Amino acid sequence: MSKLITMNVDGQELQVEEGKNLIDALSAVGIHIPHFCYHPALGFDGNCRMCLVEVEGARGPQIACNTPVKEGMKVSLSSESSMNLRRKVLEFELINHPLDCPICDQAGECKLQDYYMEAGLSKSRMEVEKVAKEKNLDFGCGVVHDQERCVLCARCVRFLRKYTKTAELGIVNRCDKAKVTTFPEKPINNRYALNVVDICPVGAMTSRDFRFKQRVWFMSSEKSVCHGCAKGCSIYVDHNQEKYKAERVYRFRPRDNEQVHGYFMCDEGRLSYRKENENRLTTAKENGRFDTIDAATNQAVELLAAAKGKVVFIVSPSWTTEQMAVAKSLAAHYEGYLSGYADSYVVKGDGDDLLIKEDKAANRASLELLGISTDRQKLISNIKSAEVVVILNNNLALTTADEREFEALLAGKQVIAVASHRLAITESAQTVIPCASYTEYAGVVVNIDGILQEVTCAIEKECFARRPERVMAALSGNAVIAEIGAVRQQLSASVPALAQVDWNAIPENGLNLKGGAQ
Amino acid sequence: MAVQEVKVLSAKYGIKDSRTLAVARAHGGYSQIEKAFAMEPAQIVEMVKASGLRGRGGAGFPTGMKWSFLPKGLDKPTYLCINSDESEPATFKDRQIIENDPHMLIEGIIITCWAINSHDAYIYIRGEFVHQAEMLNTAIDEAYAAGLLGEKACGKDFRVDITVHRGAGAYVCGEETALIESIEGKKGQPRSKPPFPAVVGLFQCPTIINNVQTIASVPYIIEHGAEGYRKFGTEKSAGTFLFGISGHVNKPGVYETELGVSMKGFIEDLAGGVWKNRKLKAVIPGGSSTPILLPKDVETCMLDYESIVEHGSMLGSGGLVVMDETVCMVKSLKNLLYFYHHESCGQCTPCREGTGWIYKIVSNIEAGKGKMSDLDLLLEIADNMEGKTVCVLSGAAAMPTRSYIQKFRHEFEEHIKLGKCPFAG
Repeated sequence: MSKLITMNVDGQELQVEEGKNLIDALSAVGIHIPHFCYHPALGFDGNCRMCLVEVEGARGPQIACNTPVKEGMKVSLSSESSMNLRRKVLEFELINHPLDCPICDQAGECKLQDYYMEAGLSKSRMEVEKVAKEKNLDFGCGVVHDQERCVLCARCVRFLRKYTKTAELGIVNRCDKAKVTTFPEKPINNRYALNVVDICPVGAMTSRDFRFKQRVWFMSSEKSVCHGCAKGCSIYVDHNQEKYKAERVYRFRPRDNEQVHGYFMCDEGRLSYRKENENRLTTAKENGRFDTIDAATNQAVELLAAAKGKVVFIVSPSWTTEQMAVAKSLAAHYEGYLSGYADSYVVKGDGDDLLIKEDKAANRASLELLGISTDRQKLISNIKSAEVVVILNNNLALTTADEREFEALLAGKQVIAVASHRLAITESAQTVIPCASYTEYAGVVVNIDGILQEVTCAIEKECFARRPERVMAALSGNAVIAEIGAVRQQLSASVPALAQVDWNAIPENGLNLKGGAQ
Repeated sequence: MAVQEVKVLSAKYGIKDSRTLAVARAHGGYSQIEKAFAMEPAQIVEMVKASGLRGRGGAGFPTGMKWSFLPKGLDKPTYLCINSDESEPATFKDRQIIENDPHMLIEGIIITCWAINSHDAYIYIRGEFVHQAEMLNTAIDEAYAAGLLGEKACGKDFRVDITVHRGAGAYVCGEETALIESIEGKKGQPRSKPPFPAVVGLFQCPTIINNVQTIASVPYIIEHGAEGYRKFGTEKSAGTFLFGISGHVNKPGVYETELGVSMKGFIEDLAGGVWKNRKLKAVIPGGSSTPILLPKDVETCMLDYESIVEHGSMLGSGGLVVMDETVCMVKSLKNLLYFYHHESCGQCTPCREGTGWIYKIVSNIEAGKGKMSDLDLLLEIADNMEGKTVCVLSGAAAMPTRSYIQKFRHEFEEHIKLGKCPFAG
């Protein structure tokens, strides 16, 4: 913990962390200084001048992003003169800014709009021609650039230089002809490109994927975890239900989390929200024919009861810890063998030294915590001696070789597939039961670094009964407990690493199972 | 008594082949090296401090004091940068040194390097000075060939290397931190200060940046001592200055005088007075960034740092522009603002947007399309630009705007009322 010092803001004494700049130090105690170009992950650049504040004793206004806090420092934020500093800079930002709000994606989460409302500015005094530049430029990787909206904060340029170290963007030209651009015929080409859309404070960088799809004020946000790989970046799940349409997820955004991933996320993870809306398994099958979920469930229960002791369950390595615990109970109920075999979830060589992990399973750590075997040989030998095989959303077909081998193994067995998406196995299985996916249920997952985080339900409608734990309870004829609270109590009692978890107060930034929350 | 020229920096101007090493040496070039090398570096710094030499680039910061800001005991090399960007409109003095007596500059560089313990000097010369860069390189080659530069400069076990770095056409690269960025191969965009170049400068090392004229003044100070230099100029503005004068005068050019001479005397005695028997209307005293002066100011103003400040302007780079009664002040301001708009590096908001805005408003007024409210708006924009930016280019645009409107408001109002320029046919 850094040393605390005392300083004065608008006449009030405050304790702030020594060594931080004014923006960060005051932000930590809930005081927000408007800014565009500063970003905690990218450092200061000092070009927007929006964070100019009055510091007693200093030669003129100082930029808060490059002014370290000192003992006894006196800063004025709310005085008329201090607020005028910001109003004047804001006026300059706005004079050449196009009146695009009605068609701009950023509306509702735009810094220019926010600061304009805060500053209480009224009419524009700009009566000469605005500078015109190019719009709707394709920068590559789904990034769309609008040069007129750009406030030249250079966050995108600095991100691609400091974080991805690919430096595809630069600012060329002087004066108000300055513009962000790529090198000729060298578009943005890296796996983190869409982060520039997040960090752009205005609508200069938009995502081709999200463009014109939703107004942000219509969407609700849930705090959850990306299931793209074992890094488990914290995200916001933005969702909405339009009139007469089904509720759906419109985008994922990274959620700041120093403990897990920082401020950014990879493009594949960001765009993985699409998979929540595509290729979903919606209809059940019984005896290979489409039927109601109840009918399919009944058939499954019959099959399982008849094959007690000769059942194999293969659980998804991305399901929540609670769901895995329920799977354990389900397997025990039918005296079956439970496996979390997921070798095929590891895509060799696909990891990088930023965020992306080779292992695409979101909760493999919990398989270990719960003592669920992932051994391939044991699984194969158990399948050979089993009569019924229950696939619990484990996608065996992630690698082709795996698929063919397991196809052969499962050929003579009764296969019950519980899945959120249409897989090869759901086409061939006799009994198929659809279940909810991770934006539709709640629980916890543990990432590759041992951080436990909460997955929150975003899409509620019609999905409660299809939450995997409920499906599994139904498969056991309701013998197995599926109520999350009770399951968590059991986990605390049976798993040493989870014994100290306060389930009602899991920190937003997650719980480090290897050493306490941060 | 008429204002007289002095021959301190310009001692060799007019001598045939004064650029060559042989001629330079014959007239005293490099004669101070031995004396300087015999002194302790700290002694030279003290001498320059005592001489009252101030930066001749425009800011007028005491040179000796700047040198003493270098941190001691750092495990990093110190660099010397010579600012030969000379892009301030109306300024053309540094080129005189390079064209007529580059060896005086080289001698000054060697002595300064010794004083600040630097082995590498970079001369940043504006890209447009194609021939001047060649002349400079020729002189430097001569100096290397004669053993004056290199591993053992002038025979002393002290390396001095000079690199000429050509700019690429940006006024902003005359700003010291933008100059450093440019030498480092990056875009010439000024850095935030602190840290100051004396501590973190070129290649993140302590760096002294001085104007060509400043460094060229050093050999004279070594020769005649602080007292000798102080024989010229005033108490606070010691020494001599290469003043440039252009515009509506009979004899435009560069004239070296001591600081503190009468501005009116300078214009009349040296530059031959306003041309074509016309009346004086306005004078820009020190480059286009300095506030404009009226004839009544010129009457009482002296050419030194303090007097010009008292009259509401700055000595700056000593580039005087004389305007006669036929000049349309609105058009003149529009001309200046076109420059500042074009030259803004675009990094920070108030300058990038502000220079464009005020240029467009003044253009409209010049074309007869302005409004009365534009004038106060211009004054406000100028205030919002100055002091809020990374460097002072915004101030350089704001100051003339403010002074033109304050002193010639009636002309702006005429344009607006008439709906056209009253000076046009």
